[in-house]
Amino acid sequence: MSRSLLLLITSSAMLLVFGLWVPIKAVVAQELLEIAWAESQARQTESRPWPWADTWPVAKLSMPALGDSMIVLAGVHGESLAFGPGQMMGGNGTETAVVIAGHRDTHFRPLKYLEPGNELRLQGRDGRWQGYRVSATRIVDSRSEFIDTHKLPAGTLLLVTCYPFDSMDAGGPLRYVVEAQVDDTARLADKEDDHSSVLYSQAILDEIDTVAGL
Amino acid sequence: MMFSSFSSQHSAFPFVENPPTRAAEAPPETRCEYVRVRSAPPSMAPHGFGRGFSRSRGLSAGCSGRVRRFMEGVSLWMAMLLVLFVQPLYAEANTGNEDSAGTLHFVDGKGQWQEPALVLGSDFDVRVSGLIADSKLVRTFKNTSDDWREGVFVFPLPEKASVYGLIMKVGERTIVGEVQPREEAKKTYETARDAGRHAATVEQQRPNLFTTRVANIPPGAEVSVELSYQQLVSYRDGVFELSVPTTLTPRYIPGEPLAVAPQQWQGGWAVPTTEVLDADAISPFTVDVDDVAADSHRASVKFTIDAGLPLAQVLSPSHQVATQQDGQVVTVEPQAGDIVMNQDFVIRWQPFAGQEPGAAVFHQQWQGEDYLLAMLVPGRAGKTRLPRELTFVIDTSGSMAGESIRQAREALQLGLETLVPGDRFNVIQFNSQPHALFMQPEMATANNLARARQYVNGLKADGGTEMASALTLALQGQGKSAGEMPEDAARVRQVVFMTDGAVGNESALFSQIRRQLGDHRLFTVAIGSAPNMHFMRDAARWGRGSYTSVQDLADMSGPLARLFAAMEAPVMTDIQVTWPGQSAAVMEDSFPQRPGDLFQGEPLLQVVRGVAPAGKLSVSGRLPGGGSWQQSLDLQQAASGTGLNRYWAREKIDSLLDDARIEGQEPDKERITKLAVAHNLMSPYTSFVAVDKTPVRAAESALLKDNLPTLLPAGSQPGMARYPQTATFAPLMIALGLLGLMLSAAIVLLQRRAYP
Repeated sequence: MSRSLLLLITSSAMLLVFGLWVPIKAVVAQELLEIAWAESQARQTESRPWPWADTWPVAKLSMPALGDSMIVLAGVHGESLAFGPGQMMGGNGTETAVVIAGHRDTHFRPLKYLEPGNELRLQGRDGRWQGYRVSATRIVDSRSEFIDTHKLPAGTLLLVTCYPFDSMDAGGPLRYVVEAQVDDTARLADKEDDHSSVLYSQAILDEIDTVAGL
Repeated sequence: MMFSSFSSQHSAFPFVENPPTRAAEAPPETRCEYVRVRSAPPSMAPHGFGRGFSRSRGLSAGCSGRVRRFMEGVSLWMAMLLVLFVQPLYAEANTGNEDSAGTLHFVDGKGQWQEPALVLGSDFDVRVSGLIADSKLVRTFKNTSDDWREGVFVFPLPEKASVYGLIMKVGERTIVGEVQPREEAKKTYETARDAGRHAATVEQQRPNLFTTRVANIPPGAEVSVELSYQQLVSYRDGVFELSVPTTLTPRYIPGEPLAVAPQQWQGGWAVPTTEVLDADAISPFTVDVDDVAADSHRASVKFTIDAGLPLAQVLSPSHQVATQQDGQVVTVEPQAGDIVMNQDFVIRWQPFAGQEPGAAVFHQQWQGEDYLLAMLVPGRAGKTRLPRELTFVIDTSGSMAGESIRQAREALQLGLETLVPGDRFNVIQFNSQPHALFMQPEMATANNLARARQYVNGLKADGGTEMASALTLALQGQGKSAGEMPEDAARVRQVVFMTDGAVGNESALFSQIRRQLGDHRLFTVAIGSAPNMHFMRDAARWGRGSYTSVQDLADMSGPLARLFAAMEAPVMTDIQVTWPGQSAAVMEDSFPQRPGDLFQGEPLLQVVRGVAPAGKLSVSGRLPGGGSWQQSLDLQQAASGTGLNRYWAREKIDSLLDDARIEGQEPDKERITKLAVAHNLMSPYTSFVAVDKTPVRAAESALLKDNLPTLLPAGSQPGMARYPQTATFAPLMIALGLLGLMLSAAIVLLQRRAYP
């Protein structure tokens, strides 16, 4: 009896540790990625956060409305998503649409608080910030709907994560999509009241950090 | 016995062994096996709880009420904690404000994926006799649901197929379909469908794209539709080839959408646009083979080849086949049994060396009229090389992603190898916009070639398929080079167009080619598992060139080498065909009316009505050196053939459509309809429809429509990206871990209380 109880306790504890490892990894990795991002901005190359990494930072995403920011990695395979949101398609600048996907359990959990009208910013490797404004949030079924890469207009930013946010099913078919459009005016206006805005302070601190890393 | 048993090998191709090309970029499909885990925790909860409770009651019989109250308290706490952690599981049932706009029939009200209720089976039975291949294609729609269903399926047929029969089978009943004008057929079908009768119809959307509709498929039953069509076997360089398309590459639809669609980017069926008015009819939903039932979208294929002469070799570059010989008749079947319908089935056969036919005549009498089909292969001309100006145009649109772009890059590299000093060349890639390597065609120097190779190696497939602008750039846009030498006027201007032809506006492109061609010649190379051969053939025809298709990397050098060799110079121009008893009526009924230029290895094909198999057919033409060529064919030796009248009628219809294009007018709809009805043929203006007499479905039971998807061509990447997998097992593991720990804690507590 006590042996099976011990087994139950250890296996449960193991599960708990493995379960907690994912968010811990996600938080710790972002710190390492900050360094790699600063380096890749300084050198203008793909610099890997650690030697054996099979992904590298490609952008920095900031959500001023939520006071959150994170480094975006290349690719959406499991290896990159474990450490940060991954860029599915798109390059620097606004010539192409950008699609970024992230885990709903870690980095993209705050997505549920984004509302139409909220501002998003994306920093490319050249250090330039591009302002976006959330235009819609939608729930899609990933098995019947696709991202039509041909018809996505340039200057669109899509943030994709799993849905529902509280679900425990990692293989569910639903996705939560935040659609944002380029909004240059917002960015300029924002620059002006950089210092007055308390709400944005966290995001701006992050931005300054990165620049300091240069 | 001469070729007792042979089979073609196909497994050595890199992409067959290396399918994860898609997997690497397209995120893996959702992990379904874990879905079941969901139900575990809730069922565990009452179980664990109940056990703890009963045990405590049994043991506490002798204990005081205080202990029991304590236990009840513990149980309550546990129950509450469980509810807290298990609650998210139930949250899933409520999926929030799902907008139904654009969601497809594959998704039910709760947003869950559903396999199509109809299971599609196909059976190809192809009989080749001489130059004509006659096929029976049986499509079986099996209804696996409890509702009455209407099935809609968009499918490809060979680009020159003449569809001449439709038979619907319901159980033991057989209903023979008839040809009706398109609108009339549609009305007949819809009336029968609404009346609850069995009905089936097939209509033509493109010369190689058709839609079949089957109404009132009873629950649990199946209805089959048998389609008869014939096509001409392609014969080139002594090799016969037949291609059976099974799926289509999703077509790119240019232009602005006509209807205001709420969410353009979410994909699915395309909406009509300014350029492609019937976009919704030619864009079936494309799914991965895993997304349909395990026995759906499979086809059994059987070829019976009676070539009329002993064969040295029968092989398929696309599938592994097993062949069996009985006299001169060879039967070919795929080794694997049923094939997955995601790739064209190509089969080639070859007579013994030196026995390749140089000419053939077939004769048939149909309704008192004589029909003759003549084939003539001009001899090989000596090579006379003129300096060339070669423009390679490569399609780098999203539909080329995957295996196709690799093939195209390789084909282009092979093309660059054919350049010799003195030639000029350029490379143009296009997706949403065209982009040229050089501002104007450059000399084929080692330096320029090295630049071109590097450029080609870096090509990636992404974006739209705006072919019109690329064609303009290739045919007109490149300014004449500044220091144009006098000999440049004598240059042969050629364009090699490498694409999968996945566009919806073929007709407009053909008109454009005709307008802009000038002194160019346009050659097309079909790339991928399911190219749009209608586009390849007609683009080359309007471009006064030739076409070829490559099946995969390992098979590509042969067809391409033949094309590049043929491109050196047309073997024969100014072809004149004279039938015996030359009269105006015969002239009008001989097709093609203006035979195009012939390239090396290509046969001249002529079909005529109203000429008896007597006398001589004489053909003359001009050779590249300027000399003239003449040959005559004794018609008395004509072998008897079948289906010639249908071939003739199809050629006549095509000719009428061509005339309309040249004159820029609407085709003579009435004349084409009359001709098609007379010969029992499908055409752009006539459809087949079969209707049962007695109603089977009661008016009160509903009829659900099921648009069957087509399969994504093998080796290609979905033009539309899938949403990636963006959740981890962390919450589940945390919840399970906590649950286990709490359970253990509860048991420990209980034990301590029970045995003090």
